[in-house]
Parts: sequence; structure tokens; C-alpha cells
Amino acid sequence: MTGPASPDCAAILASISAYLDGELEVAECAAIERHCAGCPRCGTLVEGLRHTIGLCRDVGTAPLPEPVRERARASMRRLLDADERAPSD
Amino acid sequence: MRATYAALVREAATGDRDAMERLLMGAQEVAYRFSLFVCGHPEDAEDVMQDALLKTYQHVSRITEPEAFRTWLYTTVRHACLMKRRRRVGEPSHLISIEQGIPSHDGTATPVDVVDDARPVDQRMSDASVDARVRQALQKVPPSSRAIVVMREMEGLSTREVAAITGISEANVKTRLHRARVMLRLQLERV
Repeated sequence: MTGPASPDCAAILASISAYLDGELEVAECAAIERHCAGCPRCGTLVEGLRHTIGLCRDVGTAPLPEPVRERARASMRRLLDADERAPSD
Repeated sequence: MRATYAALVREAATGDRDAMERLLMGAQEVAYRFSLFVCGHPEDAEDVMQDALLKTYQHVSRITEPEAFRTWLYTTVRHACLMKRRRRVGEPSHLISIEQGIPSHDGTATPVDVVDDARPVDQRMSDASVDARVRQALQKVPPSSRAIVVMREMEGLSTREVAAITGISEANVKTRLHRARVMLRLQLERV
């Protein structure tokens, strides 16, 4: 990736994350969308970041591998069972 | 999940075994995922998971603010990962700078530091799954920014929560997240 192509691009790029996180006002979003429609470079970057964020979210919601879950469950049960067996005073 | 954790903490503290089991499984899942994505070592992730299990169990009866549990959990897990990373011989110890910069608010380009390519053996896998690709790409992002991406994007924490966990300002969290997203995109194009 090279530096910003124009002052407009630089301004847009600095706001991209806020845009993708839904933190901008409607007018600011519209300005970014207008710019990206006419600037393939910025449009590609926005779409690329959106895709990257989507990939991360998909990976983050994936369940743990079953063998790991099974070990986690077994450790937890050992801990709880040992505590239940321990004499209380 | 924050509301769910708070409810589970309350129920577990009253001796509800089912709630305790769900809370402990949730804590272990967070610990495993976070450690694997941030440190990249499955064996360390299992140790961090075990640590989270014990600490959560010990902590539940002493919690006075159930709503703060999630922040406590990530703070605890992050600390365990930092300890693991310090003990790791294979962890890349220096950063190399790439010439390309990330645009800043003032329009200038900020140099980006990317960890060099000293990948541990268990990361050099041929598995082309999305999960493996993301994990591989994440290892090229500097650790402090990597943890922020994992908490914000994968774990769904708010900027405020991440700031509380990491001890940096919300503005700094946003800046690091933006840089990390750009780096991650570049890396995902390569792996």
C-alpha cells in the first residue's frame, strides 16, 4: 500500500474505521460513499477492510475444537467435584 | 454476552452448579480463543484456559460487581498471555518497519511495524481454512494491536471495554485498531 493519492483520499482513509464501525453521521457516510464510488483505490480499500472485519467476526464465533472443549469440560468437572467432596467448616 | 455473564455470575455465586458450569466453560472458551489468536500457540492456549478456569472459580464468590466480570476476565486472560509470551523463546523479539504508512488524521503516513517472519513450527501449517489464514495473518500484527483486534473484532468487546482492559485511551484503541485492520488486510492478501 502506498501513501494517500490525494487530500480527499487521506481524509477518507483516516475515517474509514469510524465509517465501518457505524460511528459517523449520515452526511459523513454519504461523503465517503460518494468518494469511493469515484475512486476505485479507496473503494477497494473499504471493501477489503469490510471483508477483513467480516472474516475476523466469523472466526471469533466459531466453536472451539471438540477435543479442546472436552478437556475444558473434564477439568471443570474435576474442579467442581473436588470442591463438593471437600469438607466444609 | 456481558448481560449473560453478569446473570451467570449472580446465579453461580448462590451455589447454582449449572450456572457455575456455564460460566466456567465460557471463561475457558474466552481464554483459549484469546490466547490462540494473540499468542498463536495451542499448548499455551490450553494452559491459559486452565488458569482462567481456576481464577474464575476462585473469583466468583468475591465478585461485588457482576457487570464487571467480563472486563475482569479479559484482563486476567490477557495478563496470563503476556506471561506466556515472555517465557516463549520463539517469540519474535524485534519489529521490522515497512516503508508504507497508514494515513493519519493529518494526512501524513505513519510507519507500520510488522513482526518479522519467525513463525513457530505449529503455525507453518498447510491448512488453508479461513481460521488458519486469519491466525497466520494475525501473527504479523504487533502483539499489542493484535490483542485489540481480537477483543474488538472476534470477541465483540466495546472500545470502552478494551480501553479499560488494556489501560490505554479509547482514542488510542481506535487508532491501533485501524492500523491493525489495514495490516491484517494486507496480510490476508498474502497468506
